[in-house]
Amino acid sequence: MARPRNDLHILTGVYALDALDTAAEVRRFERHMNRCEGCTSEVRGFRETATRLAIAVTRQPPPGLRAAVMAEVAGIRQVPGDRARRARRAALLPRLATAGAALGLAAAVSLAVVLVNTQNQLGQTQQQLGQAQHQLGQTQQQLSQAKRHLIAAQTQLAAINSVRTAADATLVTRATSIGGRVTVVKSAAKHQIVVTASGLPPLRAGKVYQLWLIGAPGNRIRSEGLLATHHGSSGPVLISGVLRGDTFGITLEPRGGTVQPTVTPIVGIPAS
Amino acid sequence: MRASEPELPRQQGGEDQYLDGLLSRVARGEKAAFEAVYDSLAGPVYGLILRVVRDPAQSEEVSQEVLLEVWRTAARFDPARGTAATWVLTIAHRRAVDRVRSAAAAAAREQRNAEIPVPHDDVAATVEASLDAERVRQCLESLTEAQRESITLAYYGGYSYRQVGERLGTALSTIKTRIRDGLIRMRDCLGVSW
Repeated sequence: MARPRNDLHILTGVYALDALDTAAEVRRFERHMNRCEGCTSEVRGFRETATRLAIAVTRQPPPGLRAAVMAEVAGIRQVPGDRARRARRAALLPRLATAGAALGLAAAVSLAVVLVNTQNQLGQTQQQLGQAQHQLGQTQQQLSQAKRHLIAAQTQLAAINSVRTAADATLVTRATSIGGRVTVVKSAAKHQIVVTASGLPPLRAGKVYQLWLIGAPGNRIRSEGLLATHHGSSGPVLISGVLRGDTFGITLEPRGGTVQPTVTPIVGIPAS
Repeated sequence: MRASEPELPRQQGGEDQYLDGLLSRVARGEKAAFEAVYDSLAGPVYGLILRVVRDPAQSEEVSQEVLLEVWRTAARFDPARGTAATWVLTIAHRRAVDRVRSAAAAAAREQRNAEIPVPHDDVAATVEASLDAERVRQCLESLTEAQRESITLAYYGGYSYRQVGERLGTALSTIKTRIRDGLIRMRDCLGVSW
């Protein structure tokens, strides 16, 4: 574990528990945290830890709360998203906004392997660090960055596996209207599906395969990003937040994808 | 590595992903997704706020503010920086602390504290929650008494570290270190992987 380099670093715990005394103290620590990767990652870990403390004191909310909250929601205007954040989010779960950025299984695996190697190297490096204290900060930054990437890749893989091995997992394979097959493994309990495709015909120039969740009447049609294919096959793609009545579909769209489907899907499979 | 570990972390990952996905739908204005977020997190939100604020009527009020804040600002949630549950419960804890830190509220609460014992969390709402509670209790027990006391007063009590120091008659620098060391131990005991 990182030895605190100065007094401010020791405040990670106090800060994570919202236990600093004044707004000025909070600002001072946040300025420090912006320059201190170790602090940032430690605070994140502490916050996740605090979440477990919160879950441990779960109580049934008062009966009227749900209705009161839902009644108010209609009148509350939502803040728009931050573009940069959306881009990062898209990197985790591929979406339309990042055309073709679908993170396939192969990419996730190779990322994980690279990062495992990185971590091994860091292990060796750390033995030498007694003499080279100034390298420590740098190395820690790399390590926590590597850890975050690794966790993201692992989370993606674990999520895919957990859908595939869910107790209620069911598998449906359908031929598409233009050839090839699409397989959906769905878990109603997890509200997730994993999609794979094989034998799809080669795309004409300027065309992409786009994924959709088509809601039951009253719900929306939601783009779930583009399908990256290699010789007509795709790696597993995880789609989260499936609602009851959703149908999964694929359409051929112009490069970059569209906001709503413009043509009839080549395949439609019940997703819930 | 973690991916090959038994059941628990995998399910955790799935649950986290599920909530992450839901929040991005909430950000796009989908009410059905918000209802699902409510059903997953209203219990922990209310339980935490009640633990800090103590008064059920005020706790309900703060819970409502927090849940509406989640709806309003869902677009600010960034899954690269933490789980959805943590994003929501961080908002909840801050709001609860704001409520009890104002001078008048603090005085009133001191009064109540003198009369009423700290509510116990033995009435966990679900079996899952009681399993979580058991794990947390075990990990809290693995701390030194001084660490446990400081963390409990700060997080569940909503006290600032200065107030914690005053209550325990302990130097501030000691409190800072205790809370940090205790959280490190707690984090490792619970297997938190951020």
